[in-house]
Amino acid sequence: MPKKLIDIQGVSKSFGDNLVIDDLTLYIRENEFLTLLGPSGCGKTTLLRMLGGFETPDQGKVIFEGKNITDIAPNKRQINTVFQKYALFTHMTIAENIAFGMKIKKHTKSYIEEKIRYALKLVNLEGFEERMPDSLSGGQQQRVAIARAIVNEPKVLLLDEPLGALDLKLRQDMQYELIRMKNELGITFVYVTHDQEEALTMSDTIVVMNQGYIQQIGTPEDIYNEPQNAFVADFIGESNIFSALMVEDKLVKILGVDFPCVDVGFGKNKPVDAVIRPEDVELEKPGSGIIDGIVTHLIFKGVHYEMEVEAHNYTWLVHSTEMFPVGTMVGIHVDPFNIQIMKKPVSEDEEAIEVEE
Amino acid sequence: MIKSFLKRFYLVLILILLYAPILTLIVLSFNNSKTRSKWGGFTGKWYVSLFQNKEIMNALFTTLAIALLSAAIATLIGTVAAIGISAMGKRKRTVIMGITNIPMLNADIVTGISLMLLFIAIRFSLGFTTILLAHITFNIPYVILSVMPKLKQTSKSTYEAALDLGASPLQAFLKVVIPDIYPGITSGFLLAFTMSLDDFIITHFTKGPGVDTLSTKIYSEVRKGIKPEMYALSTLLFLSVLILLFLVNMTPPEAERKKKTHPVKRILVRRVAPALLGILVLVGGVYYSTSSNVAGKKQVIVYNWGEYMDPEVLTLFEEETGIQVVYEEFETNEIMYPKIQSGAIAYDVVCPSDYMIERMIENDLLAELNYENIPNIENIGDTYLEQSKQFDAQNRYSVPYCWGTVGILYNKTMVDEEVDSWSILWDEKYQDNILMQNSVRDAFGITLKYLGYSLNSTDRDELYEATDLLTLQKPLVQAYVIDQVRDKMIGNEAALGVIYSGEAIYTQSENPDLEYVIPKEGSNVWIDSWVVPKNAKNKENAEAFINFLCRPDIAKMNFDYITYSTPNEAARDLIEDDAIRNSKIAFPDAKDLENCETFKFLGDKNDALYNELWREVKSH
Repeated sequence: MPKKLIDIQGVSKSFGDNLVIDDLTLYIRENEFLTLLGPSGCGKTTLLRMLGGFETPDQGKVIFEGKNITDIAPNKRQINTVFQKYALFTHMTIAENIAFGMKIKKHTKSYIEEKIRYALKLVNLEGFEERMPDSLSGGQQQRVAIARAIVNEPKVLLLDEPLGALDLKLRQDMQYELIRMKNELGITFVYVTHDQEEALTMSDTIVVMNQGYIQQIGTPEDIYNEPQNAFVADFIGESNIFSALMVEDKLVKILGVDFPCVDVGFGKNKPVDAVIRPEDVELEKPGSGIIDGIVTHLIFKGVHYEMEVEAHNYTWLVHSTEMFPVGTMVGIHVDPFNIQIMKKPVSEDEEAIEVEE
Repeated sequence: MIKSFLKRFYLVLILILLYAPILTLIVLSFNNSKTRSKWGGFTGKWYVSLFQNKEIMNALFTTLAIALLSAAIATLIGTVAAIGISAMGKRKRTVIMGITNIPMLNADIVTGISLMLLFIAIRFSLGFTTILLAHITFNIPYVILSVMPKLKQTSKSTYEAALDLGASPLQAFLKVVIPDIYPGITSGFLLAFTMSLDDFIITHFTKGPGVDTLSTKIYSEVRKGIKPEMYALSTLLFLSVLILLFLVNMTPPEAERKKKTHPVKRILVRRVAPALLGILVLVGGVYYSTSSNVAGKKQVIVYNWGEYMDPEVLTLFEEETGIQVVYEEFETNEIMYPKIQSGAIAYDVVCPSDYMIERMIENDLLAELNYENIPNIENIGDTYLEQSKQFDAQNRYSVPYCWGTVGILYNKTMVDEEVDSWSILWDEKYQDNILMQNSVRDAFGITLKYLGYSLNSTDRDELYEATDLLTLQKPLVQAYVIDQVRDKMIGNEAALGVIYSGEAIYTQSENPDLEYVIPKEGSNVWIDSWVVPKNAKNKENAEAFINFLCRPDIAKMNFDYITYSTPNEAARDLIEDDAIRNSKIAFPDAKDLENCETFKFLGDKNDALYNELWREVKSH
């Protein structure tokens, strides 16, 4: 396991009356691709800005390589940022943009030129030295922003929704590019996004945040398959989420019907949340499943069909390679293994649960 | 087809409307004749004399120095302020922006007067510095307003990006923020520069003696008519703006983006131009701080009508006495009066008209003269001193300088009867051929005289009678004007016009068909005299100046220059040209003046009544 590079210890931050981050603790390992994922306003960007040095936490510490950098100015940190809207210097050429940080650090001309060439090659923009930022496409500007950051050889590269402004195809291309660059550079990436697909594709570790709290930390597989609460389940991918009753170990009552499951230790007759992924819902002949329903909606999605099935006053979202036309009566079956049971928060506030590590 | 023709026609029409006035100005700047109404052939002489005219050149330099300095300083302050404001919270920012915008929306006259009052209150003597301060003040909002949007556009993240890349806050500001908002700063500077260049009202109230910008200079010339040199100057200014605009628009922005600007141009734009500007401003500042620093030297501050003295006279006076003259001009008595009253500037010697002198004496604004210092007063004819008693009862405050009458100027080819009465101005034969003075006292004076009353009448019935008569006359009048009487009469545009005698002499030299007459019912005889305000700091120098002006040769020089009648008998004897020396216009016989009166100050209440009646006439 690579060692800890950044250690965030109990930081809090509020703007006015608005508590944006509440007593948050998190560590980031060396050479890790860590993604902060959450809806807008969840505090992820604020957390990133604390790492960059643009915000100072009200409480808590940020430790970088064993040193407390909480109050160190951004220009004194070995951390570089790729900003959401690229923040290129529009009055400078691409080469001047990339050279900016190195000129400040008074590197030699030949060193700077060498670095520019290397960086532009890395981001696939060779020959763009003398162009002005305005004449570049969004994707190209994004690459320049990355090149400008990495020539300073940071230990950590912070990326604040860097692909947010790009169209879908370009975004997917850039995702692979970013993974390639990270592997080539061998540095830590801290990536902020609200796009769960992006997070699942690129990350080593995903930190799901909501309302200033961390909801869950884990690998993309963990997060997707074992969401620890309804928020995560809902936020990551599409899900059928039920208010259910844990009758006893390995048996849960969903929509008034008993479903066998594999979870134990929730007690008897305790209210819980149950999550079933759409692709885990199996459709069969009516009567042969656990409950029956009727198909009300059908869309062809390429790889699979997306269907809505009305059963027991609940609209089930179903992904299946098999097609059932609208109006067909179907039986619904779920493998006990595919039902994810989660503790129910007692009140609204508790929906945002802090996760112990 | 028709549609596109109409479109084009419309465009051409707009262009004509926009540029016809400027074209007229350019054409007139090459007109050999001094009047606007006559084309005297093509000449470039006004351009030559423009550059030889020290006063205009000085005014031009002052204008540019103030415009550049105030724009530069306002740009600096405004930019810094804009950055500060943009960093504020939303509510605070709205409030502050509101406050900074007020001076811009405020009427110039309010800004001007309040600045003047402030300067007076803190005993800051009016001069170059006060104009500069005033201009900086009203320029700052314009700079803030043009920098703010640029700051809003510049994402805060470019500044943060620079910090992120290792730049210190100062480096980030200089290398990233400033270049980003540079277009805003430049347009702010240019806006401030033009606003300053344009301003008249605020400058007028905050300027001190001896300092003139082009706008105040031009305005002070209005009384005698704007000199053709000014047309030439305006043409040059217009052309420089045109060329500047042309150059700015020449550079296609597309080409600039594709590749870097040419290094020579880059150096020119980024280094040489700002450096030159800086040097210009610095040199200008130093020049002014030395040239306007007349304190400590012997000086006299003169406040005179525009174009009311041969500039050569001032030079001679300075050479002979070693007293430096700070010379300033006013346009009307009414503009001069509040300046003296406010005490903003301690003028040493002023030249108001009769009724205004009476008012100043009444309000205790004048100092008694020590006539021992003015022995040359013996050259002034006794008649004039006698007439002065109408407003300066014991001849204690004033020395007559110029005088004249108001009469009828008529065109002999258009009027073939003998003109000897004001009645001809009511003759329907001359409908639309009559030019009246657009001034309350003159218009009423004539009418009262025609009715056989005093032109200082305060009798309501008499005034109502005059009002009715003026209303009756209105359909016959071609126009109520002031200066244009001269030009229109020269240009044969009207048969009859009410005019001042001094102007009449000049019109005759341009158009020999014109004749001037003082109607038998009598008219206004006016006297402009030199007085010394009570707060004068150099009273003895002022008296020396008055004494100098009473010297026959000097008075003669001024007569030749102004062509208004001189009360200086000895000077009249020096006039070589018999025709002029014996001119009935310049020097009417005593019997012609028998029924003439000077205007008297009638009191504020009667002034208001006159004005009200005059409005009634004009709006009828």
